[in-house]
Amino acid sequence: MVETITITLNGREVSGYSGMTVLELARESGVDIPTLCHHQHLAPYGACRICLVEDEKSGALLASCVTPIGPGMVINTASPRVLERRSMIVRLMLASHPDSCVVCDKGNRCELRQIAADLGIGLAGLERVYSPAIIQEVNPFMERDLSKCILCAKCIRADHDMVVEGVIDYMDRGFGARPSTLADVALEQSECTFCGTCISVCPTGALMEKNRVYSGSTAKAVDTTCPFCGCGCTITLEIKDNRIVRAVPFNGRVPSNNGRSPFIGVAGHGPPEAGVASAHVPGREVNKGTICVRGSYGYEAVQSPGRLQRPLVRKDGDSAFEEASWEEALEAVAAGLNGAIGAGGPQSVAVLGSTKCTNEENYILQRFARTVLGTNNIDNGSRLSSAGTRVGLGWTLGTPGSTGCLEELEISDVIMVIGANPSESAPAVAYAIKRAVKQRGAKLLLVDPRMTKLRPFAHLWLRPRAGTDLSLVSGMARVIIAEGLQDDEFVTRRTDNYADYKASLAPFSPEDVEKATGVAGADLVEAARTFAGAERGSIVCGNGITQYVNGTATAMALANLAMLTGNIGPHGGDIVALQRDNNGQGAADMGALPGFLPGFNSVQDPEARSKFEAAWGMDIGENGTGGLPDWVGDTALEMIGKAQEGRLKAMYVVGENPALSFPGKEAVKAALASLDFLVVQDIFLTETAKLAHVVLPAAGPFEKEGTFTNLEGRVQYVRKAVDAPGESLPDSEIVMRLAARMGSPIVYTPTQIMNEIEDLVPLYEDPCETEIARPGGVGGGQFPGTDRRGRRFAVERSRRLHKGQFPSAFDRFHPVHAEDSPGSNPGPCQPDGGGGGLLLLAGTGLYRSGNGSTTSRSRRLKAIEPESYIELNESDMVALGISSGDMVKVISTNGEVAARARIAGTLEAGTVFMPISFPESPANALFGIELDSRSKLPALKACSVRLERIGS
Amino acid sequence: MSEPQFEQSNMQHRPACGASKPDLNRIRGIIAEHDGQKWPLIPVLQKIQDDIGFIPPESITILAEAFHMFPAEVQGVITFYEQLYMVPRGRKVVRVCRGTACHVRGGKSILKLVKQNLGLEEGQTTPDMEYTLETVACIGVCALAPNLVIGKETYGNMNPKKVSQLFVKQTGSGESGGQS
Repeated sequence: MVETITITLNGREVSGYSGMTVLELARESGVDIPTLCHHQHLAPYGACRICLVEDEKSGALLASCVTPIGPGMVINTASPRVLERRSMIVRLMLASHPDSCVVCDKGNRCELRQIAADLGIGLAGLERVYSPAIIQEVNPFMERDLSKCILCAKCIRADHDMVVEGVIDYMDRGFGARPSTLADVALEQSECTFCGTCISVCPTGALMEKNRVYSGSTAKAVDTTCPFCGCGCTITLEIKDNRIVRAVPFNGRVPSNNGRSPFIGVAGHGPPEAGVASAHVPGREVNKGTICVRGSYGYEAVQSPGRLQRPLVRKDGDSAFEEASWEEALEAVAAGLNGAIGAGGPQSVAVLGSTKCTNEENYILQRFARTVLGTNNIDNGSRLSSAGTRVGLGWTLGTPGSTGCLEELEISDVIMVIGANPSESAPAVAYAIKRAVKQRGAKLLLVDPRMTKLRPFAHLWLRPRAGTDLSLVSGMARVIIAEGLQDDEFVTRRTDNYADYKASLAPFSPEDVEKATGVAGADLVEAARTFAGAERGSIVCGNGITQYVNGTATAMALANLAMLTGNIGPHGGDIVALQRDNNGQGAADMGALPGFLPGFNSVQDPEARSKFEAAWGMDIGENGTGGLPDWVGDTALEMIGKAQEGRLKAMYVVGENPALSFPGKEAVKAALASLDFLVVQDIFLTETAKLAHVVLPAAGPFEKEGTFTNLEGRVQYVRKAVDAPGESLPDSEIVMRLAARMGSPIVYTPTQIMNEIEDLVPLYEDPCETEIARPGGVGGGQFPGTDRRGRRFAVERSRRLHKGQFPSAFDRFHPVHAEDSPGSNPGPCQPDGGGGGLLLLAGTGLYRSGNGSTTSRSRRLKAIEPESYIELNESDMVALGISSGDMVKVISTNGEVAARARIAGTLEAGTVFMPISFPESPANALFGIELDSRSKLPALKACSVRLERIGS
Repeated sequence: MSEPQFEQSNMQHRPACGASKPDLNRIRGIIAEHDGQKWPLIPVLQKIQDDIGFIPPESITILAEAFHMFPAEVQGVITFYEQLYMVPRGRKVVRVCRGTACHVRGGKSILKLVKQNLGLEEGQTTPDMEYTLETVACIGVCALAPNLVIGKETYGNMNPKKVSQLFVKQTGSGESGGQS
């Protein structure tokens, strides 16, 4: 029961709830109190004393940010005493602050300067005591000038409580006190990830982005969704002269909300009593004021000089590209695609949709493929990363992706992170996990052959051999059943096929699992007991499970484990399946899939087809001719296979780079080059675009309107911040023009397309958030970062969260078998012992995302890690005669790439790690094409390699 | 540009370079002794310093892991307290009082003599790790001024003769004690 408390504020009676602070109530009541150390996502701290107010009854001056309201309080926020004291505090700060305001790039964003101006303070009028502690950093991202530090500790608190990296803390005391790294080394020598969160909270110029050029005040700010991984963080872009000069986490002040308890949702304070609904009203955005290095600096790539400006066409056959008008280019594309269809029918053309494009663009593109080209050969890049969880969770739980959101993940009491390194691939997820551990005492079960950065937070770290996760997960389930720890009520009421499942676990005894995975039986039992004992047990999984040939089976095993422990639905934990790209989920939801129309309506379902045929105004002839194709098309890698065989004549590739990101690089390149016609639509002249006959310049993620669906399944707005360069156009516009050129116009306005998606895609209906403005009002007043199902998402939970019942009434245990486990079939996943063979693990690095097509073009992201690297265990280095910094050739049976060797204590002997995101040394080139039979996802995680030193 | 000021004023907090390898197992033992205790960090730090004479910088990561803290947090605690050191100190810490009472009775000269006797400046340690010289603002026995403290022992009414005897004697006992 929340108690209402009434106080008198500046002579007016206002009411709040017990536990609320004077500052919160004042802000809710429209009374502004200046602060320097307060932040909506940080616990109140009371360091700066700027927010002091006068208690008129006692005459005391109180720091309002840490003073709870009490019945009958009489508060004055601007009495002469308050103003006098506040001014003195600011003057004291200014007395030790350098006079560099004119050249300080913080400029008008400096909160200290704003407050001084509001208080009418010119000169400090005190003896100046300068702090000479000026530290210059040599990293490309940020500059620390501690002479401007006012010791508000916001950076330290952001570091500890928001992103939970723990890189800095106060050092020394008195006049010497300052935020410092361990042993006071420069940031680039510390564990700092340069996420930029501390910069965004610093109220003065002490922490700033490193900008050689003074950019001054920006004219406009646009709130949008970050395009550099699947998290979907809400960021604010600051724009000047049609250029993005800065990207910061969205930090808008949250509108007041009834029923808001002050501390809930803020770092370190109290569990949410009433579940998610009330827990996270302050700041509903995914990232809650945080950001990562890609979000902060990745925008530079989109503004890089390499952007395509005009369409490029090869006039005849193999001649060089020439710039062309849109008319000429689209004519060439129409001719090329029509020619292929004429020669080989609709089966001989294929389309690749993009995990980087918006939902609307993918929707239009798949309509184009199905209605104009008449083909179901359409897929998207998520086939290479998250198809395993999409298919695996879809078959078992009926939800093609994550079953929950990060807010719920954060309130879980046990979190199992398996086959995922979110610290690098999805930083906002890692932040949430670490906050859960640090602030709520959640237990982290880490399952990874590599020692990732989550290791210090782990309750238990299981180190299975690469690719043996299926045995491990099934082994945990077997222990749970053997010890009677399963959730019987859930299993009985909500699932079927339990008996088969139980029987299928027989071969996964702790001893068998130990033999297969190398994980000690006792650890397995401990992990199983911990997970089964959780009130809310959540699972975070990523490419470390999906990118094996048994990835889908492992995803199903995880779904089985979640069902067994009752961790599906509102009262349990969630499965959070990471997405490599910003819209991998959306591209699949929108039907950029060979077997599904939008909303996972099967192409073989006549009812579903006729629904879309009607919506798209297709003329159905007699015998059903002219309708949507009813055959299941080819997946991404199958398209390449058919191109190799000459059965595929033409491809239309939108925003994907198969020549770089697909396994078997040379074979893929050859297959693409052998096509009669290849058209690539992208923002850069990518490796794939270089092979094309026509290249169409597309608008980047900050240059168009639409929505992205993040890894939680949240649909979020993307807003136009700057104009696209040259003649480039949004992908949707290009596809619609092309459709018109090919004689079957597709015409949508942005509003029409969104409405149609809401009407036809059951996952995207949006009945109760109509007050949210439609795009067009860029940077408008509405609360950004809200999913279009806003309230449903936060209160009733989304479609993914099973409101009481599963979509098909029951969920089905899917037994997975030992033969799915490479443990019984060592194959490519084991180092081959003799012959110097090493097991290579490939994964995402922090400073690049995806295959690096975009992020490798960011000046600063490139500066910190200019070239690809390969991490080795010390003993392997010694054995191979390689030292740290040497260039080595990494050779597999499928190819070779060069990389610089690095020593890493995170790997076991015999295992090496290489990031996938360096276009110059694509780790994917080392892999052959070997598909998971269920999801058709190629194995891209582990392969056997040997190393040759080629220089230092 | 000149070195930042704090580099000078807080030298004693800086990790020592080339210090002999600390006994990290002893540190782990001390942590184990305080297992289950609430807020163990400061008692553990004091115990480490009592045992080893200082807090080896290498112990920070071990302490952080044991107490589920960030290494930077542990460093923050160590550098906050005047009583905790991250550089090796002499077996005996000589603290010469420079409080008001001692000052008017010649404390300044006493400090000068101690410096000459030990060959040290403030904050320094003798190469044999026997003595570290510090000054204090007041030790609370002004009636005996000028004062100095060696280890836990206080010496009052100091004069030049007593100072030189003190260190001959102390040095002698240190050697005969056979401490290494």
